[in-house]
Amino acid sequence: MIRFNDVNKWFGANHVLKDINLHIQPGEAVVICGPSGSGKSTLIRCINQLEPIQKGEIFVDNIQVNKRATNLTRLRSQIGFVFQQFNLYPHLSVLENVVLSPIKVKKIARREAEENARELLERVGIPDKADDYPSQLSGGQCQRVAIARGLAMNPKVMLFDEPTSALDPEMIKEVLDVMVELAVEGMTMIVVTHEMGFAREVAHRVFFMDEGQIVESNAPDAFFDHPAHERTKAFLSKIITHN
Amino acid sequence: MLSHFNFRVILQYLPLFLKGLWATSWISAISIFFALLLGVLACSMRLSSTGFLKKTAGVYIESMRATPLLAQLYFFYFGLPTLHINLNEIQTGILALSLNSGAYIAEIVRAGIVSIPDGQTEAGTAYGLTYLQRMRYIILPQALGVTIPALLGQFIVLVKDSSLVSLISVLELTRAGQLMASERFMPTEGFFTVAAFYLVIYFVLKYLSTLWQNRLIYREP
Ligand SMILES: Nc1ncnc2c1ncn2[C@@H]1O[C@H](COP(=O)(O)OP(=O)(O)OP(=O)(O)O)[C@@H](O)[C@H]1O
Ligand SMILES: [Mg+2]
Repeated sequence: MIRFNDVNKWFGANHVLKDINLHIQPGEAVVICGPSGSGKSTLIRCINQLEPIQKGEIFVDNIQVNKRATNLTRLRSQIGFVFQQFNLYPHLSVLENVVLSPIKVKKIARREAEENARELLERVGIPDKADDYPSQLSGGQCQRVAIARGLAMNPKVMLFDEPTSALDPEMIKEVLDVMVELAVEGMTMIVVTHEMGFAREVAHRVFFMDEGQIVESNAPDAFFDHPAHERTKAFLSKIITHN
Repeated sequence: MLSHFNFRVILQYLPLFLKGLWATSWISAISIFFALLLGVLACSMRLSSTGFLKKTAGVYIESMRATPLLAQLYFFYFGLPTLHINLNEIQTGILALSLNSGAYIAEIVRAGIVSIPDGQTEAGTAYGLTYLQRMRYIILPQALGVTIPALLGQFIVLVKDSSLVSLISVLELTRAGQLMASERFMPTEGFFTVAAFYLVIYFVLKYLSTLWQNRLIYREP
């Protein structure tokens, strides 16, 4: 579903992604963790070309994304992206946030888009908030709207960039529950997170990134219980004592 | 001072003033409309990544802001006919006012746009919206909201600037005052009345902008 071949990216002289190779199967849920600045966000932002890459190839569903000829609008309409800071549109109601792209990008009729949006809001547990504005919602509710907004495009892949790290602790679970459900239903997803409970529960693989490289990748139990690399061990001991 | 005013003459000239008020109002309204269009367009061009569009918009904005409106007005009034473009006085006035104000509005809107967090553009991009769709549905509605006070200021400047078209003999508010002043030798009464009518326009504009702002208002996240 997603394939990286020797992907390299620089921000100016800063080499941020170094020879990244990975292959993610349809229906797979992958968690990426690693220290701040290791390139986790950059890696997933390259998948929908929010960031261009300078070397290598990225394929989504067998379509090479880092080519001029690629229809980015079409590509992006197949990839849901959930941001750490939600990035909901503050001037639009919750319902309008969810239907905007289906109507404008996918050209779905408004009626149908709204019906679908209400179903999705139901699914993420906030059917009664459709007419509220983002500023009237809690962080957890905002993030669930953002997930609904992603799902409304009927994407093949969902990408999450630290979806719970801007949330108060008591709201983390309500967002994770929605994500667990998605994973269980077989959504292909890549999640940058340090929520190790989530990783153990639903991830098929966990990647550890450091200094622009994927240092280690393994099934979650093996990853947490028997990390192979020193850097992984050091990182895990830090976040575990911290939790 | 008011006790020395000759209200009888003011009353006598009232029809002329009302005619002037009407002309100032609609000339300003049309100019504001075109200035907004131009301003948003020039601003989008200036923020685009295409070098040619960026430069064109830059030249337009700088040259309008760096030269006096009166010079621009005369330039169009005397210059366009030599290019065989024949506009009447009112059309020339609207052209100059719209072009001039458009440049200022472009800068005001630009300030509004850059104040919108990058995350908004990113979300729109990630969800497949094109540049124009992002502008239309995400950025501009928010940017215009925060720029209403500055836009109001610019609209008021435009209304006041529209008095310059009296110099190419358009009968508007200021011209009405000039006529009264010169025909009856009453500059004080004439221009006082003119000022009072501008004040009326100001309050109407202010009221409209409050309505507009209330419509766009949303609570910050
Ligand atoms: N837009 C940008 N311009 C220049 N450098 C950037 C930009 N975005 C990220 N970087 C740099 O790229 C590197 C990787 O950043 P990235 O945001 O991908 O890390 P991260 O693993 O997501 O970190 P965090 O956990 O703090 O979110 C960092 O050194 C960062 O300073
Ligand atoms: Mg990050």
